[in-house]
Amino acid sequence: MPQLSTFYHTLLRGRAGLLTGAALLLGSLLSGCDLIEFSPNETRTPEAYSDLTRKNLERLRQQPNPSGGDTVRFVFVGDSQRFYEEAEAFTQSVNQQRNVAFVAISGDISDFGLIREMRWVHDRLKKLNVPYLTVIGNHDLVANGREAYQKVYGPLNYSFEYGHTRFVLVDTNGREYGFNGRVPDVPWVQQALASPGPGISRQVVMSHVPPHDLDFDPQLVSPYVQALSTAPRVAFELNGHKHDFSIGQPYENGLTFINSYSFEKRQYVVLTLWGEKEFKLDTVQY
Amino acid sequence: MRRALLLPLLLLASLLPAAAQSAASAATPDTLSLALAAAPAAEPEPAEPAAAVAPTGLTAQPWYRPHHLILQTAAGQGLITAGVGYTTLRGRVDIDVLAGYVPSKYSITPMGIFTAKAAYSPWTLPVAQGRWQLRPFSVGGFVSHTASSGLNNSRDGKYEKGYYWWSSRTRVGGFVGGKVSRVIGRNRYGHPRTLGAYYELGTNDLYLSSIFTNLGGLGVHEILTLGFGVKFDL
Repeated sequence: MPQLSTFYHTLLRGRAGLLTGAALLLGSLLSGCDLIEFSPNETRTPEAYSDLTRKNLERLRQQPNPSGGDTVRFVFVGDSQRFYEEAEAFTQSVNQQRNVAFVAISGDISDFGLIREMRWVHDRLKKLNVPYLTVIGNHDLVANGREAYQKVYGPLNYSFEYGHTRFVLVDTNGREYGFNGRVPDVPWVQQALASPGPGISRQVVMSHVPPHDLDFDPQLVSPYVQALSTAPRVAFELNGHKHDFSIGQPYENGLTFINSYSFEKRQYVVLTLWGEKEFKLDTVQY
Repeated sequence: MRRALLLPLLLLASLLPAAAQSAASAATPDTLSLALAAAPAAEPEPAEPAAAVAPTGLTAQPWYRPHHLILQTAAGQGLITAGVGYTTLRGRVDIDVLAGYVPSKYSITPMGIFTAKAAYSPWTLPVAQGRWQLRPFSVGGFVSHTASSGLNNSRDGKYEKGYYWWSSRTRVGGFVGGKVSRVIGRNRYGHPRTLGAYYELGTNDLYLSSIFTNLGGLGVHEILTLGFGVKFDL
């Protein structure tokens, strides 16, 4: 950086320029710091707060399944938005659970779609002893939220396999896209759920907005539900958005939908799955 | 949004006549370098300004002639931000308008951020026989509007009224700050002309709403923003 130092020297030669020089120097020193923000809507994020989905999946891959047989057990919760105190308590509670493989969060990590909120949430959830995996919620899509989420977490639609289970996570926040007929991406869902390998006992779909909600693109309800019910071995769909626990089969095809507690409810569910569609729900208060 | 995009034009328009006039009165095309060169030398005793033309206040000069130019970074108001401002109430209040830019590297599409702010500085202390000035404390507020075609609106036809309570484009905030300036001659009215560096430690409505609903759950240090800038008196 010889030009830069020459520039500083030129500035420093004039005593009035000293101020400008000092301000620039201080500015460049602090530019890596959290305080420096070009806009609350910026999508700039430090390395420690980027690509978290990939990093958590990597961690999960290296971690042997704590449950035996074809069983898998994970914590299911949603809507961490603006519940920071609860996030702290949640982390402490989950760390006391035994045989939990990971935490699944059904969207609305942030409330305003701001990258700093995602950092605040991660600052608490990074203390979890197990990896956590998220799906995007409607609040995460406000303002520059889509890119903020992509930079901090990663893809909006993705899938992974763990503990004899294929998990398919999909963006279903159709209203945020003005019901444009492309969210959720039904062809992608069909492909992601197609032909599970012999090691896969069951498939689980997780999205934020459930298809029986007014924020789901109405023109896609039927193709989406159809895609899930015709795919092999789909155990259930997990959702958030409603901020409270519920379980039901709203469609005639018998597909089960489970909705998560939000962080503010100070409760979460421990889901244990085995066989093709067998599962057990344990509610934990914290 | 179209109205907001006109703001920088307005800023430019207000700058042009001021620059032209100050250049003419100084009888040199480069007032800044003149001022810098003159700084270390002993300053000539200024002619006692006629009281009628000298008051520092919004009404003392035509509105299109701002009192200072600003160059700033961060504070949530742009990566690079330029503006003009006015000083009133005997130098205690600064009212500034700024236009900031954030490139697409840090946003879905580039952002233009247009900010209006007002700051109250109760004390201006002369340092080193008046060659320097220190404003140890300022407190102020700002309102900003972000123009960016890729920014997902929180209030438009996609939602029914009140679906989200906040605007994704308009921010309101507050800050405290300080400024240190070098006196570099005098302006046309005989007031000290300064080149100063300032900082602003602030926050905004959404961060405040996050902390007030999480007292004890979110630290004050987590919601702060910091900005730096330079102000040059015209």
